[in-house]
Parts: sequence; structure tokens; C-alpha cells
Amino acid sequence: MSWYIGIDIGSAYSKGVIIKDFELVASHVIISGANYRTSAEVIRTELISQVNLSQYDIANTVATGIGADNVYFAGQKASDIVCTARGINNIFPQARTVIDVASQSSRVIRLSKEGKVVNFTVSEKCAGGSGRFIEVIANVLRIDLSDFGALSARSKNPITFSTGCAVFGESEAITRISEGIPKEDIAAGVSKALAGKISSLAKKLKLEEPCAICGGGALSNALVKIVESELNTTLLVPQDPQLITALGAAITAATSVN
Amino acid sequence: MYFAGVDIGSTMTKVVLIDESDNLLSTIKGPTGPEQRQLANEVMGQSLEQAGLRIDDISCIVATGYGRLNVPFADRQITELSCHSRGVYSLFPNVKTAIDIGGQDAKCMKINNGKLTNFVMNDKCAAGTGRFLEVTAATLGVRLEDMGDIALKATKKIQISNLCTIFAQQELVALLSRGEKLENIVAGLHDALASRVAALAKRLGIEPDLVLTGGVAKNNGIVMAMKESLGCELLVPEEPLLTGALGAAILAKEMYVKALAEGEVLPKESRRLEKATFFSEEQR
Repeated sequence: MSWYIGIDIGSAYSKGVIIKDFELVASHVIISGANYRTSAEVIRTELISQVNLSQYDIANTVATGIGADNVYFAGQKASDIVCTARGINNIFPQARTVIDVASQSSRVIRLSKEGKVVNFTVSEKCAGGSGRFIEVIANVLRIDLSDFGALSARSKNPITFSTGCAVFGESEAITRISEGIPKEDIAAGVSKALAGKISSLAKKLKLEEPCAICGGGALSNALVKIVESELNTTLLVPQDPQLITALGAAITAATSVN
Repeated sequence: MYFAGVDIGSTMTKVVLIDESDNLLSTIKGPTGPEQRQLANEVMGQSLEQAGLRIDDISCIVATGYGRLNVPFADRQITELSCHSRGVYSLFPNVKTAIDIGGQDAKCMKINNGKLTNFVMNDKCAAGTGRFLEVTAATLGVRLEDMGDIALKATKKIQISNLCTIFAQQELVALLSRGEKLENIVAGLHDALASRVAALAKRLGIEPDLVLTGGVAKNNGIVMAMKESLGCELLVPEEPLLTGALGAAILAKEMYVKALAEGEVLPKESRRLEKATFFSEEQR
């Protein structure tokens, strides 16, 4: 029995993975919705069916994220900072800093050579500094969140938002639409504003290279590009940036049993 | 002699017409639309109609508010800080501190003999402005103007833990689904906004008399919450929305009278030129 589950219940998305010998063998992402308990169950059912297991084949389950308490079947809970660090260390052992752009917060974590958390800083007070800003504006522009990066990459002339507030940004975006500004310029403007906040968060902590980026925000190529230019570095981007923290939870599950 | 003040805020456009003795001839409020020039024109037209005056009868027009540059018939533009200070002072001669909570910003002003001496403002974060209530009222499905009365029924205040308006919206949904009473949530929202504005005001230092203005001051729940947060008495004008426009009208009068005394004539050609475009005969 060497299968381990990691479940990361975030404010917007719930993510789950199964690992075997520290290799990812199954993964699932759903919208968290109003009932985290149900979300956790749905994820577990889907994960174990992907690898034809039953829940009794799972040696250990670790839950993390804002809704970790609702994962009643988890053997233990773990801090999301630690899980993100472990997840990124598994994929990029060379990374010394990781930027996590989530829906409700942005976090920058410094890692030691062994992949342990040295220091971290979190921005969770303001939607303008988290992926939520992108969600809000994508909604105004009536575009799918997954198209946001590609759309803003097409912009030649990104707009500049007058404040960093997502609420004011929403009205500003509506005004710009009424002025006939192309969607891509508005989308790129949001990416620029958010990248600015993330970069200053990272600079506060003193960036150590190599630096990786993860979380749902890293799905946007455009955002990654702007953060790279703001920080003057090349970012390591995992294939499934949204799954990193869940992966870290699964690794925690495996290491605490062994 | 007649004078007008036009205050174009982010949410509401206000016009006040006065005579040379500061008597109010007409006051009009209308929602600010995306086309501010047309709207300013409309509200001004209504105001003139109410007072039975024509645009040429007005000796001087001052525009203020964040849309003040979009008033083609105004003779002067003056910042809302100066206009608010002047307007509040005319209603409360002992005012030392004024707090204005508008739809898109909050300002705290130190006033000495009607003159603005210092100020702090927040126009960067919606959480400390009227927008916070606007957004959360919509989430709760209640009308903005009903929030004050709803809060009066509260038996306790639910503390809203999120600072950000957007995150608070999400928190409200969770609170409602947990079965919390609407009135207790609304009281908590008032507290949240009041404590943020009070923190801003405390940065400036509060000296009585303290006056609260702006559209948010029409909400008695906020007035109560502000008194609690600040720990002092609070005066509220009968028409808290109009102090900016009133101050603009008074400043228009003072400017005109001063110019007259010095033998100068304030130019108002630009207004006349725009008249044909923005004030057609039918509208008078």
C-alpha cells in the first residue's frame, strides 16, 4: 500500500492528487462551491476511480488549504505554505523561491537548499493582489478564465488602472469597454496591475534565484511573462501549476507514514 | 444675483442655486451617468427650472467633484475638498473636522474658519467608501437606502473579518448560509465601514465640532456606528449630499463679489458659447 492522497481545498478551486512512489498518478480539479465537504468527497471518489482503487488502498491522506478542516477523511492536516514548498521542491529541487498566485491570496516562499521553508510572506487582505482580480475582470469582459492569458498576450497597448482595487478596477474596466478599448488591452492591464503587486511582494522578501511560480495564476502565460520582466528573472513554471500544493500535501502524507 | 454650484460625484450629480444672501433657491440630485456632460446639463436645467431662472441669470457657476472638468458651462473648477469645507462651514460655523463618505472615496478635512487646513483621503480601496455598502447591499439583496433601518433591528453585530469588499462579499454568502440574521450582518457591515473611515480620520486627528457628510451619512446605521468608532458626537446636515455643491455655490458668490469689488468682471464667455449646444430652448 503506497498510494497517498493530497487534497487542497482552496477558496475557488479544490485540487486533489494521488502519488505512488512520489510520482503523480492521478489528479482532479473542481470548483470548490459552497460545500467543501462534498467537494472533498467528489475529489476522492474521482481520484481513486482514475487508478481503479478503493478508499481502503490509500495509506494516508493529508488535507491543506482554507477548507482543510472539511476533509473529514484526512489522516492529518498540513499548512499550505509547507505543502506548496514541498510540492515545488519535488518538481524543481533547485528552486529557492516560489511565488504562489492563488484566488484569494498571493504568497512568496523562500526555500533552503533542502527545500525547507526559510521565510514567507502572504498577501490576503486585498483582491487586487490575488488571482481574484483576474476572475473579476474576466467576468466583466465575459471571457473564460482559461482564455485570459492568451487574450492579454495579444495586447499591444495595455491600459493602466488608476487604483489597485479590484472593485474600482471592475468599474474602470466597464468604462474602458464603453470607450471602445479592445478586450485584450483591458485584460493585459489587469495582468500588469496584478504582476506589479506580486513582484513587490516578492521583492519585499528578497528574491533568491532560481524562482518558480505556481497556483492558478501561473496558468496565465501573460501574467508569468510580466512578473518575469518585473523581477528580471526567468521563472520555472510547472506543467500543472494549480496542483503543486495538493502534490505537497500528498508528499506530506507519504513522508509522515514512512 | 444668483450663483450655482455643480458637484459631479462618482455616483450622484448635485446642483445648488443660491442668491447673494446664501438663500437656497433650488437643489437637485440625479445619478451620475457615464456621459457626465449631458447629465450635468440635465440636472442644471432642472435646477434652473425649479428656481424659474435662465442660465444667463447666474452670475457665476463653480463645478466641483471628480467630474468637475466635464462641466462645459462652469466658470471655474474648484476641488471638492475646498468646496466641502466651505459648504460644511456655512451650515456649522463651529466645525473643526469634517468627514465626507462618498460613493467612491472618503475624505477627512481639518477646517479652520471655513478654510481647509489639512486632509487625508482614501480613493484607492473600495472597502473604506460608500462602494463597500453598495456592493454588499447588492449581495444581500437589499436596497442601499434600506440598510440603515434594517440595522436598527439588529440584536448583535456580526464581525466581518475580511477587509476587502470582494472577499467580504464571499463572507456574506457564507454567513447567510450559516443562518445568521440579515439585520445582524448589516449592522456588522456598518461597523466595518465605520471603523475604516474612523481610522482614516484618526490619522488626521479629530477636533469637535465634527460633521459627517456625503451620501453615506444618510444611512443612520452608519452615523451610529461612526459615533461608536470615533467615541464622540457627530453632526449631520439635513441634506448631507449637498454640502459640496453648496460650498461650490458659496465660493462662486465670494469670487464674484470679490472681483466686482476690485472692479473686475469674471469672464463667462465659455459658458455662453456652450449654451447653444447644451441648453436648447426646449430644456429651459
